Amino acid sequence: MRVDVQALGTLNQLAHEGAQAAARALGQMTGIDAAVEVTRISLVDRVEAGEELGDEPFVGVRFEFEGALSGETALVFDREGAADVVDALVPGDAADDRMARSSVEEVGNIMMSGFIDGWADFLGATIDHTPPEYIERRGAAVLPASETGAHDQIFVFRSEVECLGDPVSFYIYMLPAYDPLADLMADHAAGEDAIPIEKLEVFNRMTRRGTEKAAENVETMTGIETTAEVTRTSFCPIEDVPKQVGNDTYVGTVVEFTGTPSGFLLVLFDEPSAVTVAEALMPMAPEGEGLTDRHRSAIEELGNILSSGFVDGWANVLQQSIDHTPPRLVHDMGRAIVDPLAAQLGQHQRHAFTVDSTMRTEDVAFECGIHALPDERQLREALDELLVERAEETEADVERIFGS
Amino acid sequence: MKVYDGSRTDETAGTDPERVKVGIAEYEVTTDGAHLTTSGLGSCIGVGLVDAASGVAGLVHVMLPSAEEVDDDNPAKFADSGTELLVAEMERQGADVSSLRAKIAGGSDMLDFSDSGASIGARNADQVRETLGDHGIPIVGEDVGGDHGRSLRLEAATGDLVVKSANEPDRRL
Repeated sequence: MRVDVQALGTLNQLAHEGAQAAARALGQMTGIDAAVEVTRISLVDRVEAGEELGDEPFVGVRFEFEGALSGETALVFDREGAADVVDALVPGDAADDRMARSSVEEVGNIMMSGFIDGWADFLGATIDHTPPEYIERRGAAVLPASETGAHDQIFVFRSEVECLGDPVSFYIYMLPAYDPLADLMADHAAGEDAIPIEKLEVFNRMTRRGTEKAAENVETMTGIETTAEVTRTSFCPIEDVPKQVGNDTYVGTVVEFTGTPSGFLLVLFDEPSAVTVAEALMPMAPEGEGLTDRHRSAIEELGNILSSGFVDGWANVLQQSIDHTPPRLVHDMGRAIVDPLAAQLGQHQRHAFTVDSTMRTEDVAFECGIHALPDERQLREALDELLVERAEETEADVERIFGS
Repeated sequence: MKVYDGSRTDETAGTDPERVKVGIAEYEVTTDGAHLTTSGLGSCIGVGLVDAASGVAGLVHVMLPSAEEVDDDNPAKFADSGTELLVAEMERQGADVSSLRAKIAGGSDMLDFSDSGASIGARNADQVRETLGDHGIPIVGEDVGGDHGRSLRLEAATGDLVVKSANEPDRRL
């Protein structure tokens, strides 16, 4: 498969409009006013698809579809969301489990028909689907098992829908089969600039290893046992980039990197994690509540080390020279941190690739997100020159570079 | 995440105004006193317009200064075309342009890495002022610039624009 930016943009819009059709269907049936918050297309490791759902319980429907595009799709509500939907259809406490289940099934079926019909209309082709299967699972297990095959990384289309004035949110996941997606991508491609999928996969694996190494560094420096989770390369309209980060307050660092590619790298901790990690770096916890200047300078130092490791790792695999500025410390609303960076890229591009990794630990409140926003055209140039054979070499190189 | 959950107690019992979210590069107009909210403004700007006489209010969340600089088909993304679009839509829904009053917030200089010239935040603010000026719409409140993010709530019934920041007290414009 060759991944074309214009085709990705078209598919993203298509998925977004499909999700809007599903949201409208929900509104017509239940009166719940829903809007699609964000749609993104991500390339992820097959085993990590849906990890962002955590261990929460979800209910919904899923089914297979076949035609101009084939694959599997799922619509899932969190538990409260499902309860609200059931309440809208069967008010009061009248609904028993069986009725609740059939309500979710009915709503899910109609919403997803809207989703699939939207795709079919756009493609001017037929897409058939199997009857919906009701599901009730925790976390990523709600997602359909993607086709097994030669590829260990898969494209996942994900729309997040928020219901206004209601705590209901739901997600639509679509996991297309490889070959039909490749054909569709080729049909909607603009030209010669497409990226061979293998190169994106190498890039993803490389970032993954970089995150693992970064997690080891954090562990060595702080003594907090840290693991790398979810690494994904996503694609979305530039104005949706800030929505990839939550609206809570974050503490961290931002650097601009220059070379091929240029762009921005963010290392962000939620506030409790920032306090935890900063104090683990200090010989003694400082007096006073919350984040002090000493916490901030510890975060700045850690951000610098993690950023350098990342940027050097990329430079090494891409065989490019990439420099970065000293880190700027940030402590603000997540989206407000990302917004000026997206705006700076948005002067030259309509869509963006974002590379997102997460590190976390089981024992204490600790989560760190590493987000890269490369210039889209320059990333394509860099990947164009990347030799896939170097995938084998990266492991040793990553060791050397991140391993200090 | 709900940014303004805490505000509901401000309202008279049982008559919470509807809350309408405005995303980046989007706008909304209300004729029934809704609260229009938008979150996470960095260099972006929120432009709130109110025509008290007709009760029409609108909010647009723009990202970049001028539609002429970028090939894009979403006018709500830009300070010039986004403001124009909001004025036109409010007029269509019964607002009198000569009665419109503007309140603006955002346009922070935070994380601007450009080597020279004005930041995107400052250019966004300049463009919004120019476009509002072209329509003769006075700016009666503003909280622009600085180096921090903001979230906004335009209360259509009163015309108040409430500005929230991560590390500073709320402001009511």
